[in-house]
Amino acid sequence: MIPPISAATVSSPISLPSAVTATPGADPASQERGVDFGKAVTNALENLQSSQSATDALSEKAATGDLKAIEDYMVMATETQLATQLTVAVRNKAVESFNDIMRMQI
Amino acid sequence: MSALFNSLSITGSGMGVYKTWIDATADNVANVNTVTSTDEPAFQQRFVLASANENGAGSIGNGARVAGVQFGDAEGRLVYDPAHPLADENGMVRHPDMVLSDQMTNLIIAQRAYQANVTVFERARDAYLRGLEIGR
Repeated sequence: MIPPISAATVSSPISLPSAVTATPGADPASQERGVDFGKAVTNALENLQSSQSATDALSEKAATGDLKAIEDYMVMATETQLATQLTVAVRNKAVESFNDIMRMQI
Repeated sequence: MSALFNSLSITGSGMGVYKTWIDATADNVANVNTVTSTDEPAFQQRFVLASANENGAGSIGNGARVAGVQFGDAEGRLVYDPAHPLADENGMVRHPDMVLSDQMTNLIIAQRAYQANVTVFERARDAYLRGLEIGR
């Protein structure tokens, strides 16, 4: 397969760890939902971090004049922007649902 | 692997191809009057070979890429110009075998195609941003 032009492509920042998608009853210890959501958020932030450092490297190249193609930077910066917004949106939704649950009358 | 924001990198690859074509046209235009003596090859026109990034049957590809650059005719056009310092004993010099109007046409095609890719990029980004506003 031919590698894409941009330095790195943004893979889905929200990827659930395998425990969430595992078949029920496979391993009861890894079925704890609380831990899994934390893992998902950590994975998302790690992916976001790598995407942002790729953009940083390209913007450094742009500043030093080593950038070979302006579209590489624009694509990477836009992908990082969208990935950041997506991660923030998911985080906001998660906090919102947590608050809804906490406000629930028992 | 299908990336999350695939259309952005696909249009980026298209922009890369057309940028290379504009570069090649710039090289051709810069050398449109490069004259050589008859015992040397003429300036060879630059042709950019574009190729699709296939992802196998049944799936969308990954855009386009520059497969290589090919050179045109080294024979050129023999022109009678006895006053030229590079002229041989018969008064002939070698001009590159290309026409400026062809190059300008290619330049416009490449520029418009680059702009089309930028438009797709902007539309895709707007679509993704609208998608992020769902339920907000």
